[in-house]
Amino acid sequence: MGLAGDATDGEVVRAVLGGEVERYAVLVHRYRDRYARYAARMLGSLDAGEDAVQDALVRAFDRLADCREPDKFAGWLFLILRNRCYAERRRQQREGRPLDERDDGVAAADRPDGTYEQTERMRALERSLGHLTPEQREVFVLKHMEGLAYDEIAGRTGATVASLKMRMHRAYDRLRDLMKEHL
Amino acid sequence: MSLGYHPLVKQLLDGELSLAELPPELRAEGAEALRLIGAVDRRPVVLSAALDDRVMAVVRQHAASRTRRAWHWLTAPRDVELRLRLRPVVWAGALAIAAGVALLLLGRVPASAPVPASVARSGARDSVFVRFVLYAPGARHVAVAGTFNQWDLNAAPLARAGSSGVWTTTLALPVGQHQYAFVVDGERWVADPAAPAIDDGFGRRNSMVAVTLRGARTL
Repeated sequence: MGLAGDATDGEVVRAVLGGEVERYAVLVHRYRDRYARYAARMLGSLDAGEDAVQDALVRAFDRLADCREPDKFAGWLFLILRNRCYAERRRQQREGRPLDERDDGVAAADRPDGTYEQTERMRALERSLGHLTPEQREVFVLKHMEGLAYDEIAGRTGATVASLKMRMHRAYDRLRDLMKEHL
Repeated sequence: MSLGYHPLVKQLLDGELSLAELPPELRAEGAEALRLIGAVDRRPVVLSAALDDRVMAVVRQHAASRTRRAWHWLTAPRDVELRLRLRPVVWAGALAIAAGVALLLLGRVPASAPVPASVARSGARDSVFVRFVLYAPGARHVAVAGTFNQWDLNAAPLARAGSSGVWTTTLALPVGQHQYAFVVDGERWVADPAAPAIDDGFGRRNSMVAVTLRGARTL
């Protein structure tokens, strides 16, 4: 078999575990961009997001035998990436480096379809997200950037809908405070 | 002091209410909140085209390294030590000897040397107590299956010894040679790393133990 794109995740995982290492490329190609926005927004940087996705994909390969439900590889990979993002955020915080100090942020710089005011507001929001806790930032990213419903976020992260709503509502208040000059 | 959004405005942001459903006095606050959400950048993030190649290059390295480690472990010469220990007070005439300890690092190829464990001879004339020990800290269930129990996955479960990750059971085995393997979590067959393994003819490796009235030894 080649790099058949129609094979299920479970089929590919089992093939890789059976020694067909090259078939892991199917999973890499399938998930590299799907989780890219989450990682980039969580870490405030396209480069950091790319590093996180790459690292998560390698770690997933190394631990593939621990993937108890190969057909749910996507969710399992997300948890590895999520842990990687949280660890990176903790490291950044230990170094006293807030997200908005990075020079390669993903905030819109020159949107052709936006006014100057809109562009400034987007940049301000990107900076403000860096001041949320990782948990608040995550629920904001998953709901408002990835477009997931609360119950879908709960399924991915293991948190309850009630706790997710609480985090989000605190994030709204914090963002209002941080963004008051731009609203 | 910061001023938070009204709970109804938060419901608006959550998509549970529309602006028109807000009380008139909250609509200005609602419109402001929507401007905040309107600033969300939802454009897709595209990673470098070279990422796939970078990941696969590392994956190939790791796979090759894993194969080298496994080959080294399988081919490296090793001693399988058997010790007979006579106890001053022997329960039912039991005699302790060594059978083998399997060291299992789940998901990895074990690299440690075999460690002797105890085996006791049973009171029956033609069987000997053999103790099986497996180190499997991540396992949820461990059993030993072999020619002595018709490879039944459920016949000989090991018990977890505290929180150390060690699983153990003692079986009375008839005199003779037996092939066996550990079964982790009901699906993973693991040969005893403390004992030489033989090919079972179906692509798996089994361990061997020889039981005599003077004790047992791995082959």
